[in-house]
Amino acid sequence: MKITPPLLASMAASAIMFVSSIIYLVIQPNWFQIGQIWNACLIISALGIVIAFFMKKNRPTSKIPLLAIDLLFFLAVFLLSFTGVLNPEFNIHRPLGLGASIGYGIAYPLLVLAAAVLGIKDCINILYGFNAKGQEVLIFLIIRFSAVIALLLLGGILFVIIYKGIGIISWEFLTTPARKLGTAGGISTAIVGTFWMVLGAMIVSSPLGIAAAIYLQEYSRSLRLNRSVTIAITVLNGVPSVVFGLFALAFLVNLFGVSLLTGSLILGLINIPTIILTSQEALKSVPNSLREGSMALGASKWQTIKKVILPSAMPGVLTGVIMGVAKASGETAPIMWTAVTFTSTPVQTYYGVIPDIFQPVNNLNYHLLNLIYFLGAWDVEANAWGTALVLIALVLGTNMLAIVVRNHYRKKISW
Amino acid sequence: MVLPKMRRYREKSIEALLFLSAIASILVTILIFYFLISESIKAFAELGFFNLLLGTKWHPAGDIYGMMPLIVTSLIITVLALFINIIIGVPLAIYLAELAGPRSKAILKPAIELLAGVPSIVYGFLGVIILVSFLQERLDMLTGRSILAGAILLGIMFIPYITTICEDALRAVPSEFKQGSLALGANQWQTIRYVVIPAASSGITAAILLNVGSIIGETMAVLLVVGNIARIPSPIYDVFDQGATFTSVIAGEMGEVARGSLHYHVLFAVGFILLIVVSILSIVADLARAKIRKKFGGY
Repeated sequence: MKITPPLLASMAASAIMFVSSIIYLVIQPNWFQIGQIWNACLIISALGIVIAFFMKKNRPTSKIPLLAIDLLFFLAVFLLSFTGVLNPEFNIHRPLGLGASIGYGIAYPLLVLAAAVLGIKDCINILYGFNAKGQEVLIFLIIRFSAVIALLLLGGILFVIIYKGIGIISWEFLTTPARKLGTAGGISTAIVGTFWMVLGAMIVSSPLGIAAAIYLQEYSRSLRLNRSVTIAITVLNGVPSVVFGLFALAFLVNLFGVSLLTGSLILGLINIPTIILTSQEALKSVPNSLREGSMALGASKWQTIKKVILPSAMPGVLTGVIMGVAKASGETAPIMWTAVTFTSTPVQTYYGVIPDIFQPVNNLNYHLLNLIYFLGAWDVEANAWGTALVLIALVLGTNMLAIVVRNHYRKKISW
Repeated sequence: MVLPKMRRYREKSIEALLFLSAIASILVTILIFYFLISESIKAFAELGFFNLLLGTKWHPAGDIYGMMPLIVTSLIITVLALFINIIIGVPLAIYLAELAGPRSKAILKPAIELLAGVPSIVYGFLGVIILVSFLQERLDMLTGRSILAGAILLGIMFIPYITTICEDALRAVPSEFKQGSLALGANQWQTIRYVVIPAASSGITAAILLNVGSIIGETMAVLLVVGNIARIPSPIYDVFDQGATFTSVIAGEMGEVARGSLHYHVLFAVGFILLIVVSILSIVADLARAKIRKKFGGY
C-alpha cells in the first residue's frame, strides 16, 4: 500500500472542497473566485482517481461501474457550474410548495460537498484496494468527524454565550434590579429569587429522596414495593416539565397561590427521581462487609446506617444533590405560571433570613424568557446575553462541582 | 438479641418514616395523573374524546379544538430531531466507547456531561437569535420560526443525552465478545458492526426511546423557535412551515387563559395525552434496559 502522487493530489483536492464547502455553507463569505477553485479541484480530484485506479496492479474490474457513477457526478457538478447554470442568480423558488427556496448559496456548496465526500471515499478505497481495511478506515473517519462536529457545536454554544455575555456582566448588572422592562438595570432580584427557590427545592427533595433511597436499599424486603417505586420513579423522571407545571397549577396554586413555596415544591418534586437514583447507586456501592461489621459490634440497623453506611455513601449522595441543584436552576416551564413574576420584586425577608414564601419571586429563567419575548420590540438583547451567561455559569458551575466531587472520591475510595 | 424498648421504638418509627418517603414518589405520580385527568375530563366530556384528539382545527378564539395539528407537528419534529440526534450522537458514543484515547476521553466525557445541563431556555435564546435568522436568510423563508428550526434545535440539544446512554450500553458489552471476534480475524469496525452494536442494541433502543420522550416533552426551546401556530403544515411535508407542538401550545397559551374555561381544560387534556405518551415511552425504555441487565448480568 503506497500513496501515489495522483492519489495524493486527488485526496488533497477533495479535502479542500470538503472544508471550503462546509465553511461556505455555514458563514457564506464573499468569495468571488470560489467557483473556479472548486472547478479546478473537481477536475484534479476526478483525474487523480482515474489515474490512480489504472496505475494500480490487480485492480478489481467489478468496481469500475461504481467509480464511473461517481465520476459522472463530478462531471455533472463541473458542467453545471462551467456552463453557467449555477450562477449567483440561480434559485429554485419554493419547490413542491415548500415554504423555502433553494438558492445558489445552498445548492452549489451542497453539490460540491457531496462530490468531496465521494472523492474521499474513492481515494481511500483505491488506496486500500477496496478491501475491509479501507472500509474500516472510512467509517472511523466518519465517526471521528461526527465527534468533531458535536464538539464544535457544543463548544460553539458555550463560546458564543461567553463571548457575547462577558461584556455585559459588571458589578452593577449583578447587583441592581431590572428597570424599564429589563432594558435597563440588572438582574439582582432574579438571582436572589432563583437562589431561594432552588434552596427551597433542595430542602424539599434531598431529605425525601435520600430517605426513600435508604428505605429501598437497606430496609425493603418486598420486591414488589421496590418494583413499583422503580416504575413510579421511571415515569416521574420522564414526565415533561410542562406537565409538572400543569400539575402545580391545578393543585399547588390552589393551596398556596402563585408563590415561592409553590415553585420550590414543584422543583423539589421534579428533582426527587434524580436524587433517589443517584443515592441508591451510592448506597449500592457500599460493600456488605461494612454493614456486617457494624451489626456484629452490636449496632442497631439505624445506627449502622447513620454512622457507617451514610458517611461512606456521602460523596455519591452529594453528587446527586448537586446535580439536583443544577437541574432546578435551569427549569422554566414548571414555574412560569405558578411561582414567578417579571416585575422586579425583591424577596421579602423576616429578620433578614426567613423569606416570605407566599410571595411570587423573580427568576433568571423567566427573566430571560421575557427578554426573549421583547427582543424585536425593545433593546434588550445585551441584557439577555448577560442573563444567559449568568444562568449557564450558575448551572454549569454546579454541574462541574458535581463532576469534581464524584471524580475526586472515585479516585480516593477503594474498598 | 433483644433491644431495649425505647430503642426498638425508635428503630420502628424511623423505618416507618423512611417507608413513607419511599412511598412518596408513587403518591406524587398518582397525584399527577389524578389532577391531569380531573382537569381534562371536562374537555373530553364537552368535545368528545375522538373529536378532540383527531380534530384537524385548533382555533381557541372560536372554541374549536382538535389536536391533529399538534400531533402532526410533534411527530415531524420528533422524527427530524431524532434523525439529527442519532447521526451525530451514536457515532460520538461509538467514538467514546471504542476509539477514543484516554486523553480525548478525559476532555470529551465531562464536556458532554456539562452540556447536558445547559438550560433549555438558553437553547431557545440561541435558537431565536442565531438559528432562526440563519434559516430565514439562507433559505429565503417568510420567517425562520419553523418546524425545521425546532427539529434542528432539539436534535442538537439532546446529543449529550443519547451519547451518554448509548456509551453505557456499548461499554456494557463484555470484552470477551470483542476479543473473540478480533481473534477470529475480524477488524475493529467489523467487530463493532457485527458484535458490539447487536449486543448493545437493546440499550441503544432504550436510549432512543428515552430521547423520543425527552424530545416530545421539551418545552421552552421549542416554544421559542417553532412559531407556535397550530395548523397542519400544507403540504404536509412542509417542514419550513410554522407549527405548534403539544408542549409549545400548553406553554404558549396557558398564561393567557381564564381558569376554568374550556380552553383551560383543553390545555390540560393536551397535557394528559402528552403525559400518557411519555410515560409509555419511559416504561418501555426501562424494560429494554432491564433486558440488557439480564442478558449480561451487571450493567
